[in-house]
Amino acid sequence: MRRNGLLLKFFLCFAVFQLHFGTVYASEGNSDFDLLDDDFYQDDSQADQDQIVYEIYDPLEPLNRVFFKVNDKLYYWVVRPVKKGYTAVLPYDVRYIFGNFFRNIAAPVRLVNNLLQGDFKDAGIVLYRFVINTTMGVWGFGDPAEREFGIAPRPADFGQTLGKWGIGEGVYIYWPIIGPSNIRDTVGILGDGYAHPIYFSGQGLAENTVYYLETKVNDMSLQENDLYDEMKRISIDPYVAIRQAYYDYRRGMLEDKKRK
Amino acid sequence: MRSYQNKMVAAVLVGFMLFFLPFSLSANTGTATEQLKPILDKLVAILSDPALKGDENKTARREKIMDSVKEGFDFREMSRKVLGKTWNDISEEQRDQFTELMTKLLENVYIGKLESYTGQAITFTGERVKGDRAQVTTTIIHEGAELPIHYILYDKQGKWMVYDINIEGVSLVRNYMEQFKSILRTEKFEGLVKVIEDKNRSFEENGTEG
Repeated sequence: MRRNGLLLKFFLCFAVFQLHFGTVYASEGNSDFDLLDDDFYQDDSQADQDQIVYEIYDPLEPLNRVFFKVNDKLYYWVVRPVKKGYTAVLPYDVRYIFGNFFRNIAAPVRLVNNLLQGDFKDAGIVLYRFVINTTMGVWGFGDPAEREFGIAPRPADFGQTLGKWGIGEGVYIYWPIIGPSNIRDTVGILGDGYAHPIYFSGQGLAENTVYYLETKVNDMSLQENDLYDEMKRISIDPYVAIRQAYYDYRRGMLEDKKRK
Repeated sequence: MRSYQNKMVAAVLVGFMLFFLPFSLSANTGTATEQLKPILDKLVAILSDPALKGDENKTARREKIMDSVKEGFDFREMSRKVLGKTWNDISEEQRDQFTELMTKLLENVYIGKLESYTGQAITFTGERVKGDRAQVTTTIIHEGAELPIHYILYDKQGKWMVYDINIEGVSLVRNYMEQFKSILRTEKFEGLVKVIEDKNRSFEENGTEG
């Protein structure tokens, strides 16, 4: 484990990233989102349009675009066939409860980050959900906390925590395989790896890699549509579309957390 | 295998796919909601009308959908926002031309998705008003989880009109605005027009069903 430490951590972190990231729209349902405070909707004077605060710093764009092309090929040659095979072999219900299980296991990541953010209420809810789902939900395969008690997951990650502490995003990075991120979120996913139970489980690199791949593939198989294809279809410049969506989403989530 | 293959993108896409969709329940009432609701109800009626179903009725159905959508969505305001500063530099004819192209683009992109609506329950969950702007929030159930969709409206001479959709912080208008920015920088307005025309043509060649 120590020998392969760094590589292992990398894999783990990405797994974790997917796990808590995957719970996004099962979150509290941000119907309380106050968008009208956003400069984009507030200030309508045309002169300000170009120097707006939601500017994205992407000095690596030429390199990022190369990775974008690489990932694009990878997607059609590897990812999609794997997803198809996996979906064909396992019925939806099985994949669904696997998804619950992986999410439940990553609860410590959400717990630690909610605590670091000083959000004790959400930390409590994470703990509560974990206890209910691990017991009544049979080791987390079910999600009775949400289904029976209507308690939605409370996502939190270290990138977000760093943001709440006032640390900037840094440059935008479109990682090979991983996709959109930035310096802060990359440090975030590495940090979250330390809070994931799989990190402490003492398994070898091979086992952890399998776990990582399984969570990723399973997560993808639960999406009805071919989202990447769809994103490309509706975009004029998919690279910019994905970058913008990533930032809007991450910033929106952070704003939401800051308001708490 | 990559992180945009995740539910962030899913939420955004699903939201945008359903962005015209109405609220079936109304917990609150407010002027913005009151004005938006009938238009959106009409959309559901069109989508559930058996006489308008199927490929053979596609043209008639889309025409009806767009007629209703235009009553509550201001495509000109969307186009103005999307172009930013450039809007001030172009002529009135060019503005009309761009609005038409943008309307067609949004129609191509989303109506195929709208047509796959299967009657999910959509609830109206909030309304905020700040001066001449309003935010109306709806929630749909997607894959067992709640997905809030925020409609951004502005007061157009006493009538609330939608000019943006926002899901989980991701703005539809801002997304296209950013995509167009670099094209405008290098190829100017004329270049952008050509790019959007090409995109619209590609939809016609490949069909608009996603």
